[in-house]
Amino acid sequence: MSVGRLRSAVTGSGLRRGLAYGLGALVAIAALYGLVFPETLAGDLLGLATSESTLGAALRLAVPIACAAVGGIFAEKAGVINIGLEGLLIISAFTGVFVTDAVGSVFSIPSIWVGFVAGVLASTLLSLLFAVVCIEFRADQIIAGLAVWLIALGLAPFAATVVYGSVNTASVGTLGTWTIPVLSELPFVGPVLFDASPTVYLMFVVVGGGWYVLNRTSFGRHVRASGENPKALDTAGVDVTRVRYLAITLSGVLAGIGGVGLSLGQVGQFIGNGQTMVNGRGFIAIVAYLFGNYNPIGAFGAAVLFAGLDALQLRLQQIPAYMVPGSLIQTIPYITVIVVLALVGRTRVPSAAGEHYESGED
Amino acid sequence: MSARERVEDGLRRLVAASWAERLALSLAALVASVLVGGLIVFFSGTAATCEEPAYGVFGLTSCYNPVSVYVLLVTGAFGSLLSDPFNFNMALTLKESTLLIFTGLSVAVAFRAGLFNIGSQGQLVIGGLASAIAVLTAGPLLPGVSGLLLVPLGVGVGALAGGLYGAIPGALKAYADANEVITTIMLNFVAAQVAFFLVSTYFAAPDSQSVETSEIPAGAVLESALFGSGSDFSIVALAGGLALVAGLYYLIGYTSYGFDLRTSGLQPEAARYGGVDAKRTIVSSMALSGAFAGIGGAVWVLMVMGRFQTGVPALGFDGITVSILAGNNPLGVVPAALLFGVLKSGSLAVQLSTGVPVQLVGVLRGLIILFVAMPEFFRLLGTRFVTTDREPAVATDGGTPSESGGKP
Repeated sequence: MSVGRLRSAVTGSGLRRGLAYGLGALVAIAALYGLVFPETLAGDLLGLATSESTLGAALRLAVPIACAAVGGIFAEKAGVINIGLEGLLIISAFTGVFVTDAVGSVFSIPSIWVGFVAGVLASTLLSLLFAVVCIEFRADQIIAGLAVWLIALGLAPFAATVVYGSVNTASVGTLGTWTIPVLSELPFVGPVLFDASPTVYLMFVVVGGGWYVLNRTSFGRHVRASGENPKALDTAGVDVTRVRYLAITLSGVLAGIGGVGLSLGQVGQFIGNGQTMVNGRGFIAIVAYLFGNYNPIGAFGAAVLFAGLDALQLRLQQIPAYMVPGSLIQTIPYITVIVVLALVGRTRVPSAAGEHYESGED
Repeated sequence: MSARERVEDGLRRLVAASWAERLALSLAALVASVLVGGLIVFFSGTAATCEEPAYGVFGLTSCYNPVSVYVLLVTGAFGSLLSDPFNFNMALTLKESTLLIFTGLSVAVAFRAGLFNIGSQGQLVIGGLASAIAVLTAGPLLPGVSGLLLVPLGVGVGALAGGLYGAIPGALKAYADANEVITTIMLNFVAAQVAFFLVSTYFAAPDSQSVETSEIPAGAVLESALFGSGSDFSIVALAGGLALVAGLYYLIGYTSYGFDLRTSGLQPEAARYGGVDAKRTIVSSMALSGAFAGIGGAVWVLMVMGRFQTGVPALGFDGITVSILAGNNPLGVVPAALLFGVLKSGSLAVQLSTGVPVQLVGVLRGLIILFVAMPEFFRLLGTRFVTTDREPAVATDGGTPSESGGKP
């Protein structure tokens, strides 16, 4: 696997590779400079970036991006580009809050976890609709994905206005944090890793489990074959359509975890004005898994990077000494995504991704 | 030249064969969206609170009656047309339609070149802001100058700024192979934040609670002539939009640049064979697309707001639906924009009298795109009305070139 990556990096465009390394070196030099001269701006920024609270926030903010990215990997590896991840995040974020508020506890399960499950279910159903549209009705995957996004972008604020009279929902509280005894006492790592929102732990399960399923199970093998060579998979007696259905549905489940992780895990409310509280995280997730070369762990790394930038800009806004206007700082994650996309360019896309496959077709 | 003629011939046959089919598809998608939208309205009404239910079926009662919502949606958009053809509602409809013509054209021209420009929104924001700054700066420098100079200046600067902003994702696509869907969406966010920063820091109107520029000089305002001064609709802007429709139709259909654009959208291989510079076409068509959106932004400033204000309405996203509904044909953009203008204007009347929120249009916007994307669905419904040869969805001009004409 790493050999393939290395080869593609070596054969890639020299200029782009140089730029990427140059950028990495620049960041490294800045970090080193900050380490040696802690009194300077670079030192200040480094201290800020590596502080416990920034790292903790980065992990929390990474939840929607990482979960949606792992979901996106499954769909795209199976041959269906799911550009509607943003819509799945929006619909699950809203449904999670709405059901928590409206239903209450069921079978003595706390209402917020009922909402959690409902949010994941909503995203799963929407992804199932996407699957039917793409597989049964042979829709263009990009257009259908955009439709999923725009439907959710319209539906969530619509429903919020019907129920709450405003595009924002009522506040229902968050899932809080789970503190793991003993481990949370560890210096530095403890408060960041073991005193976190349950959604952060869930993200680790999603990333690790996603990697395992994709690389070590027969379902993962079928998913990869369905994207690379559906005909061979068909010949081997595996139903390509079924594999694709399962993979897209799985992407809905995982993106749903990310969406509720955002609304119930962090904010406790759904905010629906403008681009809603999801604010492009679904699209950032796509870049995260491209950057991570379709590896769940690589995608997780990229998600933490983007979320880290987000956390850093949130911290920078609180420090008046920097005098950088908040709205400009807020563009940092988006511009980074563009730069990353330009540097990474087209990575190794599964060869049958985006194509319709029909068993027995000529 | 024979290779070129062959390609051109193939293109012409392709377009002729699918024209009626695309119209049928758009209409079918519209009907299906209205039906599903009606169901959503009904079921959302069961969760809403109201004094007495407006509609009930099978024991389920809803606060909203979908049929009357749709009736009101259409009648509300036209107002009392017979007694007063220049009424306020009609002006509102035409105002929305005019703005959507520009963003619809913006999305359409990119689609025709095989590019998904989801960034019309951001290009519109940048164009509108640049336009406002230009007329605000030029106004005091040229005292007493009429709209004959300021309006073209504002529109021109808007087109230029939008075009440059659109060229960025084009260049990233052409020279760095960065997917334009993602980059344009990211640039939407960047545009909104940059506009917020620029307006709040350098161009803020004194004594204003919201983030907005000062009012533009009177000479730069696109006056509303027929519909009364408060209507914010200028017949000049509509005429300009229609002229652009004709211009783009001519450009795409009858010029060598349009030929390059269409072939690189439909059959990139054939385009290269015919000597088209693919990279230059990508950048220039994205710039052209951005310029249309930028003009839309300028018109929004000069005709509707009279200033630039942050929190620009989602005209760019509506433009995606308009273009897709129009089959990415410039001529089709006019009826599609009118229809969408009716929806947007009518939804205000609907919210006022039934309580169904205006966000309903956002739901319909997504549903329409979804249904247009799945022509196969309608083929299964009624193969009698449509020809049976397989063709990709209407908006995939550039998406799957191998299927569009290669099969015997």
